[in-house]
Amino acid sequence: MEYRDRSPCGHLTLSDTGKEVTLAGWVDALRDHGGVLFIHLRDRSGIVQVVFTPESTPQTVCDRAGLLKSEFCIRLAGRVAKRVEGAENPGIATGEIEVVAKDLAILSRADTLPFQISDKSMVAGVAVKREEAVAEDLRLQYRYLDLRRPKMQDHLIKRHRIVKAVRDYLDEQGFIEIETPMLTKSTPEGARDYLVPSRHYPRSFYALPQSPQLFKQLLMVGGMERYSQIVRCFRDEDLRPNRQPEFTQLDLEASFIDEGFIYALLEELTARIFQVGEIELPRPYPRMTWTDAMNSTGSDKPDLRFDMTFKDATDIFAETNYSIFRHILSRGGCIKGINVKGQSEKLSKNVLQNEYAKEIVPGFGAKGMTWMKVTDGGLESNIVQFFSDHERNEILKRFGATNGDVILMIADPSWSLVCSALGQLRLHVAQRLDLIPADVFYPLWVTDFPLFEATDNGVTSSHHPFTMPDRADFDPENRDELLSLRSRAYDLVVNGEELGGGSIRINDRDIQNRIFKALGLSENEIEAKFGFFLKALEYGAPPHGGIALGIDRVVAMILGTSSIREVIAFPKNRSAFCPLTEAPSPVAMEQLAELGLLELGGSPSLPGSKKQQTLIDSLSWVSRIRMDAEERPGIAAAIDDAKAYADLINSRCVDDEPMFSVVTAANRTRQGTESRVSPFAEKGEILKNAPSTKGGFFKVASILE
Amino acid sequence: MVSEIYTHKNTSPKPCANNGLLAGRRVVIQPNMSACGWLSDAGSPALEGFVALEDATVVARMRDAGAELVGSSRMSELGFGLAGDTANRILSGGEADIALVTDTMGEARVAAAGSAVFGFKPSFGMVSRSGLVGLVPSMECYGILGKKMEDIIDTLSVIAGKDKDDPSMPDETFPDFAAARKPLKMPCTAGVLKECVDLLQDRERKAFRTGLARLEEAGLTIREVNFSEFDLFRVVHHIVASVEASSSAGKYDGVRYGHRSSSGKNWNEMYLNSRGESFGSGIKTFLFQGAYFQFESYPAFENACRNRRRLVRTSADLLGSVDLLVFPTRRLEHDAWRAATINHIYDAFLLTLPANVTGQPSLHVPSLALHAGTDIGVQLVGLRLDDPRLLSIGMKLSSTAQGGASHEV
Repeated sequence: MEYRDRSPCGHLTLSDTGKEVTLAGWVDALRDHGGVLFIHLRDRSGIVQVVFTPESTPQTVCDRAGLLKSEFCIRLAGRVAKRVEGAENPGIATGEIEVVAKDLAILSRADTLPFQISDKSMVAGVAVKREEAVAEDLRLQYRYLDLRRPKMQDHLIKRHRIVKAVRDYLDEQGFIEIETPMLTKSTPEGARDYLVPSRHYPRSFYALPQSPQLFKQLLMVGGMERYSQIVRCFRDEDLRPNRQPEFTQLDLEASFIDEGFIYALLEELTARIFQVGEIELPRPYPRMTWTDAMNSTGSDKPDLRFDMTFKDATDIFAETNYSIFRHILSRGGCIKGINVKGQSEKLSKNVLQNEYAKEIVPGFGAKGMTWMKVTDGGLESNIVQFFSDHERNEILKRFGATNGDVILMIADPSWSLVCSALGQLRLHVAQRLDLIPADVFYPLWVTDFPLFEATDNGVTSSHHPFTMPDRADFDPENRDELLSLRSRAYDLVVNGEELGGGSIRINDRDIQNRIFKALGLSENEIEAKFGFFLKALEYGAPPHGGIALGIDRVVAMILGTSSIREVIAFPKNRSAFCPLTEAPSPVAMEQLAELGLLELGGSPSLPGSKKQQTLIDSLSWVSRIRMDAEERPGIAAAIDDAKAYADLINSRCVDDEPMFSVVTAANRTRQGTESRVSPFAEKGEILKNAPSTKGGFFKVASILE
Repeated sequence: MVSEIYTHKNTSPKPCANNGLLAGRRVVIQPNMSACGWLSDAGSPALEGFVALEDATVVARMRDAGAELVGSSRMSELGFGLAGDTANRILSGGEADIALVTDTMGEARVAAAGSAVFGFKPSFGMVSRSGLVGLVPSMECYGILGKKMEDIIDTLSVIAGKDKDDPSMPDETFPDFAAARKPLKMPCTAGVLKECVDLLQDRERKAFRTGLARLEEAGLTIREVNFSEFDLFRVVHHIVASVEASSSAGKYDGVRYGHRSSSGKNWNEMYLNSRGESFGSGIKTFLFQGAYFQFESYPAFENACRNRRRLVRTSADLLGSVDLLVFPTRRLEHDAWRAATINHIYDAFLLTLPANVTGQPSLHVPSLALHAGTDIGVQLVGLRLDDPRLLSIGMKLSSTAQGGASHEV
């Protein structure tokens, strides 16, 4: 048996019948038929059945095969044979044949597995018995085992195909891949940086890149013309279920181009990579300005797989007698609504009033919601009596309403609140009523974003400060004018998810200066933060622009996985922790001292003052018990007592083994019993003692604000 | 149904069975012992409004044995100490014959001393704790208070024994309690710890010596013995109990039951606030101490457990040379019902907590050691699972004790 003769398990076919083959891989599953042993042998290419039978296999080999267990790594030799009629297994690609073993070597044994890896039944037509869903943290802790599962292998192989398709296409288009530094200077991307302390420059830090933004622009100044990179980026943002502290971007930048170039390039690029998942994207991708997106869907990443877009009803109620609307409109507000077509039966008055108006919509930040059911050409609602005939008719006309429709409206003095709340409501209703078609992909360019957003005392960049404005003749001191500027930025959105974004950049030092001035940065701040970059703009910077695409997100969408962690080999979990390596982890004091980090906190704290306070606060946090200011001194004294007890007991140390209980613990694994649902849970009695419930569940605060 | 001394008062205490061992006897329990349909809040906002869905094993066994469950007393927060506990008032008021009081550091025995009744903490592990809202799992057990020794023996016979619903019970053979009713075999030697007597004030020592004299009258021989590590019982109990309490109290999240804070925007805040509002200042302090040992000083917890093994061994060795150990039950100046801070609570239970550290059975015999009408108590401690012998000594002393009790009345 030589490895160079090895055949991939999954590639064997009927035409190989009679051939002597050498195989290597892992034992996926075993079935012992009293003397005849069948195994599923798995390698990256697939699974093939191997049979050890006393008739054809030497006795010593049969004996060795008797030692096999799941996930043993083995090598074997044998002859390919057609299976007997009726014994075929259509569940695997090699189901028509099997390999009759002649020799076997156990290369490496496997311990008891933390979870089942095999998901292919050895018997045709029988579903494999799977344990309950494996907890994700356990999968991540044993990721190397999780990766053996064909599904995970397929994800990573497809990811490779997608990235390769990207590289091939960009190469065709004249882009060259250039690496940019990982240890760099903090860039103004808005999120928190991951910092890396420098040993040679004590108290100074590198930042890991949030994106290679400035470097790729410098590459354009450097005359590279077309640059691309598959690059890892880092952002220390608040935890979100589908967010990773490090993520992969396709980053590209090109000179002497305009928006049209990017649109064409990215449409062809994305169309090609979606084909890896056998998805055809409809082209050309529609474009929508940010203002239209907000006005029609309340989102800067609209999901247009379904309609239910907003209609504005502000003008209908200009003269209304309905006091709530009148009040809102007198404060410059607006009224928008959606028509949930033909869903009147599914949205009862109770659901509309008690769930949506009272609970769900307030959760979106709006004070209330107005609902109307369309019946026999009229409107039915708890407030419709306050509307005039004219108003009712106009509503029907505006929303194109017919019998069985439900109209939902939100009114508020703030336009952005109306958009945001109605946008969330639109998605909520669509999901609840299952109005989003499956397997449909709707790509879209969103353009003409506001260049600035208002802050309490000025403006801030919506994108980043290097984005080119739609016009250059603005006054950096005029806040209203600044807020009316649009940027030459564009986002690529698919199915309501932002896959990437970019812009045409500023290549003019004067415009860049005025942008910084608008942002309220002083000359000194500008120099300290961006001096090196601004200097580069003074040496003939070409017009340029680019875009970055989130690869993890794109791959997850193409493969239809539940999270981006399914398409990353070694991701962090939802808490930005790696269960496999247990990173992040504490480091030795010596390491901190070497980096000069110990002295960073200022002077050492006085005994019992700040340090003590930190200890109490950390205990309060780890035990999740809030304390009042009045309780603090008592608790501080008790901690001092505890320290004294610790000193006392440590000074009286003995060699005995610790005794955690005076009785010997008994093994209470109840074998042969099946897990069952408690009758209290079944009948819902378990909810009787709960302080807050909702729809048969315990109700809790959301994990994130 | 809620009153000053009851958490739940049972309006129909008559049981279905009328011929059991406990038939006709009235029993009061504490509200940390689940009784189906009763408010079982363990005296704590952490279980605010919690109504038990089923009986604790012990409660079910007592009902089956014909006991009349008159209700549940008020109790200290999560059964730690006796502040606010009313079991002794219910007994003294003649409203019950028997009381069950959770004994984590001596609560049952000290409560018995306060109501001139017998108080017994059985060997650790013999009584199922399924349905008991616990705090310190390696130490706490049901304690029994009874006016007569028979009350205690009968109750123990009913509630002790294996229970598949309590996986923490050991695989041991429990003794047969019939022996408890038989006359005590003589001779019998009682050991008195020098280190314990040295702690006492003069007037306490005088009262204790009166009690020892009554034991001698009953035929026991008294011998002084040494236990040089006696001072470690308190600190070992404190460290271990606080760590276990911190761990046990982790389940109080205000989600499935108990108090939910009205403030808290997200999960963490809901948790922090609800738990912050769920624990009174005494218990909260204790939980912080437990968290300190768990998270900041774990070797101290391990060393406490090492010393626990040594204390258990020394105690068992001593009980190889004498038949039982005798302690006073309580101190004169440390009123357990007023002790609300952790240090005061430990002061009040200093003499009873060793039996919780060792898991040994301990019986408080009333009215033998009086100082100006206050019973400091005589507390007998025996080997683990040697409960019947301890109880038979109690039977023997019972006549003496009841004579004493009539003096007081």
